[in-house]
Amino acid sequence: MFEIRDVHVAYGAVMALRGISLEVNEKEIVCLLGANGAGKSTTLRTVSGLLHPLRGEVLLGGQPIHRLSAEAIAKRGISQVPEGRRVFPGLTVRENMILGTSNRSGVRREEMEADMAKLFEIFPDLERLKHAHGWTLSGGQQQMLAIARGLMARPHILLMDEPSLGLAPILVQEVFRVIKDINATGAMTILLVEQNATMALAISHRGYVMETGRIVLQGPAKDLLQNLQVRDAYLGGGKRML
Amino acid sequence: MNHSATVHASAWSRLRFRVLALALGAMLVAVLPLLFTTRYSTNLLILGAAMGIGTLGLVVVLGYAGQISLAQAAFYGIGAYAAALGTTHWGINWWVAVVLGLVAAAVAGGILGTATLKLGGHYLAMTTICFQVIFTLIATNWITFTGGPDGISNIKRPPFFIPLNSVQRYAWFALAALYLVAGLVWWLRDTDLGRAMRAIRENELAAEALGINTPRIKVIAFTLSAVLGALGGTIYASGYLYISPDSFNFDHAVLFLAMALVGGTESFLGAILGASLLTFLPEWLRDLKKIYLVIYGCVIILVIVFMPEGLWGYVKLLGRRFARRRLLPPAERPLQVGRGVAGEEILYVVGLVKRFGGLVAVDKVDLVVRRGEIHALIGPNGSGKTTYINLLSGLYAPTSGSIRFLGKDVAGLRPSRIASSGMARSFQNLRLFRELTVWENVLVGAKRAGGNETETKGRALAAIEFAGLSDKAYEICRSLPYGHQKLVELARAIAGEPELLLLDEPGAGLNQTEKQELIRLLRRLNEMGLTIVIVEHDMSLVSRVAATATVLNFGKKIAEGTIDEVLRHPAVVEAYLGNREVALGV
Amino acid sequence: MAENLSMNGQLVFAGLAIGSVYALVALGFVMIFRATNVVNFAQGEFSMLGAYFLVALWQGLKLDYFAAIALALLLMVGIGLLFEITVYYPLRNRTFLPVIIATIGASIMFQNGALAIFGSSPEKVRPVIETVGGTGGVTVAGVFFDYQYLIILAVAVLLVGLQYLFFEYTLLGKKMQATSQDKDMARLLGIPVVYMIALTFIYSSLLGGLSGMLVAPIFFVTHKMGATLGLKAFAATICGGFGDVRGAIVGGLALGVIESFGSAYISAVYKDAFSFLVLIVILLVRPQGIFGEKVSEKA
Repeated sequence: MFEIRDVHVAYGAVMALRGISLEVNEKEIVCLLGANGAGKSTTLRTVSGLLHPLRGEVLLGGQPIHRLSAEAIAKRGISQVPEGRRVFPGLTVRENMILGTSNRSGVRREEMEADMAKLFEIFPDLERLKHAHGWTLSGGQQQMLAIARGLMARPHILLMDEPSLGLAPILVQEVFRVIKDINATGAMTILLVEQNATMALAISHRGYVMETGRIVLQGPAKDLLQNLQVRDAYLGGGKRML
Repeated sequence: MNHSATVHASAWSRLRFRVLALALGAMLVAVLPLLFTTRYSTNLLILGAAMGIGTLGLVVVLGYAGQISLAQAAFYGIGAYAAALGTTHWGINWWVAVVLGLVAAAVAGGILGTATLKLGGHYLAMTTICFQVIFTLIATNWITFTGGPDGISNIKRPPFFIPLNSVQRYAWFALAALYLVAGLVWWLRDTDLGRAMRAIRENELAAEALGINTPRIKVIAFTLSAVLGALGGTIYASGYLYISPDSFNFDHAVLFLAMALVGGTESFLGAILGASLLTFLPEWLRDLKKIYLVIYGCVIILVIVFMPEGLWGYVKLLGRRFARRRLLPPAERPLQVGRGVAGEEILYVVGLVKRFGGLVAVDKVDLVVRRGEIHALIGPNGSGKTTYINLLSGLYAPTSGSIRFLGKDVAGLRPSRIASSGMARSFQNLRLFRELTVWENVLVGAKRAGGNETETKGRALAAIEFAGLSDKAYEICRSLPYGHQKLVELARAIAGEPELLLLDEPGAGLNQTEKQELIRLLRRLNEMGLTIVIVEHDMSLVSRVAATATVLNFGKKIAEGTIDEVLRHPAVVEAYLGNREVALGV
Repeated sequence: MAENLSMNGQLVFAGLAIGSVYALVALGFVMIFRATNVVNFAQGEFSMLGAYFLVALWQGLKLDYFAAIALALLLMVGIGLLFEITVYYPLRNRTFLPVIIATIGASIMFQNGALAIFGSSPEKVRPVIETVGGTGGVTVAGVFFDYQYLIILAVAVLLVGLQYLFFEYTLLGKKMQATSQDKDMARLLGIPVVYMIALTFIYSSLLGGLSGMLVAPIFFVTHKMGATLGLKAFAATICGGFGDVRGAIVGGLALGVIESFGSAYISAVYKDAFSFLVLIVILLVRPQGIFGEKVSEKA
């Protein structure tokens, strides 16, 4: 239902994406892996409309969206949980979540409250911190809030950019448990960008591996988990030919 | 024509161009007062010259050093009042009065500059406005000293071997002064000081990391602009023979700024063009006098939006298309990086810690680097690598721990001092002086090692040749492709012939061919004796360049050793890829 | 003794009233800065324009005073929009220096436009509560409370209160806050950031215009009145903490009171200098202001 076709993106003076293609089907978790600088975040920023491709297309349900503004793309049902969480520091947890519904017009109070109640079941900590301001939350709590806020938009597809970044391993486990859960029980389609390849592959259905702006490896997650080439993409060593 | 001859020919033609320009200027100075026949228009000429000198001051502080000053009318006023009070109330010699004015302006400029250094941007703007407003208030209200709103009349002209008792003769004097100041400002641009100012304007952090004492240079720029402002005011006062506080208020400070902007802040010609235009324009639009001022405000906005480099800047832009390609002379000596005994410890870091509030970015990480080594610093995103480099080069002060470089304690010293002692670095996000040419960027880098002009130029030539940038030396960095820009940053860093080179993700954004070239250059530098610490994500690049590595994760050191050992280390694999058991337990 | 008290009381009252005007202008200034990072040197001119619109509508077109105020405020909405489209929008991606200079250019245009249209002779506007022989007031405990000053204070308190309620309790207010805290994230959520910014400019323009109309009966309306007002408001925000809403209000009030006392006890002639002297001291001693945080650059 979601496709990127041969997209080329320049970031400043650098050619950040050199023709990448991938697809995400409904109810899947697809992960996009690669070392830092491979172009993973650039891919997500292009999908969400903060960047526009020089060539190639991004299609949602067959409709091209790559020329739309970020606001318009959000309205089409693409929600992003960005790198670094980016919760609004001066607003409370509740307010952050309410703003998550900004992509839909005419949302009634009761609907919002009902959605929030459902999310509080998944994120009980957030209910406790309802009135705490964003800047007071820990990294893990902010990550949960960012995900909850993303889900408030009732999106067709959730883009997640390095949710494990800066989190201690035990929190990473918790976060990924939640991601697996929203997909399994909530039938949420997810495109997950991650550096922590093992973790991402453990919960994904399929994966793509990027290197300097290109996709070099793809396949079912189980296969990629066994595949030593994934390790080489990160820790190449002398084994890779330049 | 062989290369050497072409180089000489182009240098000769540049010299010819300069001599021609100087001659043309001198001719204009001689001829202009003859073309203005009425007293009124000649007075305007004098005004234009005086304002031009003041605007040239803004070229130095704003055009070169990139610092905004909205106090230029106040300095102009200091000079004017010094000449006025000196020759009337105090009865001293004109030249002495002028010097007093220049000194007063220099002191005020120096104090103002020093006080506002740490603040930048709008704080600086505000402080200069305050100074300007307070000056006007004092000039208007301290009647016993300044004569108040009535001003001062019967100001004397400067005593000269020819008496300057006619307007026309004074116009020659004023234009000659403008000519000299313009020449000075023109000359300043290509001196080490001028280049340092322009480097600060382009990228203050990088300038500091290349050994430029940025606060000191900014104060110098400020002081210089204040002195030129005062000089302009002196010329004005002795030309019009009467001054009142109205001519030195905030509106006039804005006028100076407008003249600089419309003409083009970065060049002496822009200043002259802007000053002339905005002095004579009100005359030509005399019938539209009221609307003229509205137009004037509109013009400022339009120029900023559409022609940010001013009229002269626009002309230069067009002229660039027709410019002849300049050639760099060949280097006379090779680069000499890294002297001293191989194996000697040059960097010795113990227990380095950096905290940002509650976050521990670097947690007691030791490091030892020996001369002749290439050592890598690797780790997943957010592990503290760039923070570490910033600590070593002085951009951050450590929370605790010690850094010894070449036997001296450098922890917490300002970056320019660490750089001067032999450390050079590149930046993850490329910090070139974008509007300067490749040659100018590398010259700034070469200056880091001190020495006289010949030595500096020699090093710069060697560095440019080493990086293979000779044929692009005179291009503006902004217009180069990304790969070449990265090479310029490398050349700039090695031009100072450092003892230690820190590279922060030199391979980011490069394609495979460019990475190959980078590897080749780094290996050659190492063969020549340069010690390198490299932060990188591309492991194939790292493994082809470095012999040993330190691995960070969450700010802590988790492994250290040869590249092979480290890349096989289970903790390292887990840091990058994640823990299998943990993952499967989800 | 009682005389002293009543005189000081007078000075405090007058200082707070004028300080409220500074605070309102400063508030408009801070709103724009928080939303767009733009330092608007033309903020004072919004006050001047508001005052002149009132003059034109009430004196020129002989409209009812209160209708004139309403219409003038409407015109200020237009000014705010115009300003955003022609000055902010083309320069929204440039560094701060071109933007400051463009706003200075706009301020020159406004000032001289007013001069061209209305001429240089000062205009007088009636106060909100008209009594025989100029502005009236009440005397309480030996202090004379001028009606206009009272109204200024009341309006300021009301506005700040409404603003607080708006930002704390309405969805639109939250969206605007989000826009100023993280513009790109707001866009990603689907918040129409361009409209939020336009609203901010409109609001700031209204604040400026209203403060100009309020202060017009006290001082004469001239094309220059915005200049000093703007500079003092700017000084107030820096003293209070640049970019902080509380800072703008506290800074404005504080400067008003300092000015009041300074001109009474030290020198009336140098009244305008006090704000700037205080500013210089603050910049030297505590540049982040009362409520501000230290700022540092990251590599």
